Amino acid sequence: MRICTKSFYLVILTLLVNSLVLSAQNNYVKKFGNSVVFAGIEVGSKGVKMSLVEIEKTTLQNGSLNVMKDTTVNTDFISFTQATYQATLAALNGLYDMALKGYSIPANHIFTAVSSGVNIQAVKENKLTWVDQLTNAFRFNFNEPERKVSVIDVKEEARLSHLGIVPDSRRYNTFLIDIGSGNTKGGYFPSDNTKDFKLFQLTWGTKSTSNAVEKRLDGDNSLDNYNKQLTRVLSGAENSEIVYAVNESGSYPVSDNVAFSGGIAWSLATLMYPELIGNSVVPVTYEEVLSFNEKLLKNHSSLSDNNIVKTLNDKTLDMDAVAKEVKRVNQVFDQRSLLAGTGLLLKIMRQFESVYEKKSFYLVKNGAVGWITAYVNQNSSN
Amino acid sequence: MRDARSLILLLVSLLLVLVSFVLIWTWGYRFYNKNDEFKVAAKLVITDSNAMANRIRDSLQKVYNETLYKLDTQLDSTLLNSDSLKKQLDIKLAEFYRLSGEITAILNRRNNNYAEIDVARKKIGELQSKADDMRDKNRVVDSENKKLTEILDQVQKTEKSSDKNVKQGSAENNVAVEKSNPAYSVFTASEMKLSAITVNDEKESETFFADQTKKLAGAFTITNNNSQLSNAEVIVVVQQPDGRVLKNSEWESGSFSTPEGKKIYSYKLNFNYSKGEPKRLYFFLKADAYQKGNYTMLVYYNGNMIGKIFKTLS
Repeated sequence: MRICTKSFYLVILTLLVNSLVLSAQNNYVKKFGNSVVFAGIEVGSKGVKMSLVEIEKTTLQNGSLNVMKDTTVNTDFISFTQATYQATLAALNGLYDMALKGYSIPANHIFTAVSSGVNIQAVKENKLTWVDQLTNAFRFNFNEPERKVSVIDVKEEARLSHLGIVPDSRRYNTFLIDIGSGNTKGGYFPSDNTKDFKLFQLTWGTKSTSNAVEKRLDGDNSLDNYNKQLTRVLSGAENSEIVYAVNESGSYPVSDNVAFSGGIAWSLATLMYPELIGNSVVPVTYEEVLSFNEKLLKNHSSLSDNNIVKTLNDKTLDMDAVAKEVKRVNQVFDQRSLLAGTGLLLKIMRQFESVYEKKSFYLVKNGAVGWITAYVNQNSSN
Repeated sequence: MRDARSLILLLVSLLLVLVSFVLIWTWGYRFYNKNDEFKVAAKLVITDSNAMANRIRDSLQKVYNETLYKLDTQLDSTLLNSDSLKKQLDIKLAEFYRLSGEITAILNRRNNNYAEIDVARKKIGELQSKADDMRDKNRVVDSENKKLTEILDQVQKTEKSSDKNVKQGSAENNVAVEKSNPAYSVFTASEMKLSAITVNDEKESETFFADQTKKLAGAFTITNNNSQLSNAEVIVVVQQPDGRVLKNSEWESGSFSTPEGKKIYSYKLNFNYSKGEPKRLYFFLKADAYQKGNYTMLVYYNGNMIGKIFKTLS
């Protein structure tokens, strides 16, 4: 029965990847007249992502780029089971094949890497051999024994994320914080160069916060009790770690902007500002997030795709696209996960709120492709 | 025969005497009665002074009540229409209530003498002059309201005619300035300009052609005669001919709330402001390509539109 389920899972995944390859035939539009297209494939904790990046030829050294497409196949590699391993390998092979054949990108313009989240979890669970096995199987499949599959460390990933997400004009006054599911990481450039990077880390993420709350529910699964326990968990996190980590980072005096990426940032940006569906970054204030948190708790049904579309009156908006994206958010994050993530976000934002000086806050929607884009940009110029 | 004639003459004479006597008696009776009436009236004035005072008080009460009634009706409309004169009105009202209290106290006393009634009469006169004064103020407020309504009507008419011009595609008239309802905005925008800039040999110059445009440059002057602001924020929306908002960078644009719902903005300008200072603000917008047609530049403060101009690129 179990073997049957695994086989079914693999067949579906293979079909899905193949269908993506077929539908990908030159399905992109270039922005620059004279440019080169690169692909970056990342094996992440939750899945395998591919970004197609167009880099203008004349400004190759300056990194003037355009993210043309990004695709994700969810495989949950860090569960380290045979099924998820096979699914991850199939997705990796499929996306590489798509870049090579579907988009006709030469092999030397395709970059492959394993994210820090996978590496940390593999070290923690003593599963580094699984990572080696995956990369070797991939090389073998395409007969490319010399192919480089870099395993990125957490600091380098945070640095690349900054380079991939934050524009050059805001490079040295922006603190980027990625709220992930299991942890939070980010940082900023303290000096006027992109080599020195100050790393910021928290052991709290959206899922880990939610898990800590679930453990405290003690049989009472009501929303009121969830919220009560969430307040306690976040209060503990704030006192024991968040305040210290933000102070230790030394970012407050040098950062005018604080940008948040990660799943919860994408969710909030989509639900709070559906009219800005075309923007990959949206500005936000502490008060707006606070009021959204109240809405989440007391009127979550108002955040359904139908209800959100009803509030929009801009005729130039693609309402179907808005509804689809809102629906996607609600499928990924339920009310409780949203409350946990928003609560954590508020605790971090609060450290940057002051009577004397206000920081500008931003929610980044395309954070997932940030570091791989920068990785491609960095390697393409080499 | 002679005896008969003499008898008739005697009878007529007697009749005349009788008639004369009756007439004299009647005149005498009436004369006597008239003198009696004067005597009774004189007696009343002298003997019943309280009744007289009551009668005067009643008439004064009537005048007072009438004044109060008139004032009440005027006061209602005054309170509704004059926010700016509220303080003055409060002072007048306090005076009015003080006077009316004093008058009521005098009139309620049963044993008033002439001097007190005279005081009441003077106070009522004063009350009436105050009421007249308030009525005049009300007229001023009414005329101010009329002027404001006229301005609003004019603004609405201008807006309608400008929209019409844009719809008709009047390419000649590139710039038309509008002002929004001044009652809702602290700032006013003036000298608004939106220019298309082209670059030739590293030199910038204005162009009217979409395909030559490298960036859009906007400028406007804002003025506020009411307050001093340490961190004011003005929002600029530049709509392209297809109705979409032109955005410089996603990090610089966002959305904001207006009475018509949420809108996307192109640029946000933060600045310090000193009361009465005409402040010139500038911004630039860059796009990958520029469409031909009418561009609309709108300036907002606190969600309310304070200025609007059009720019046509061919």
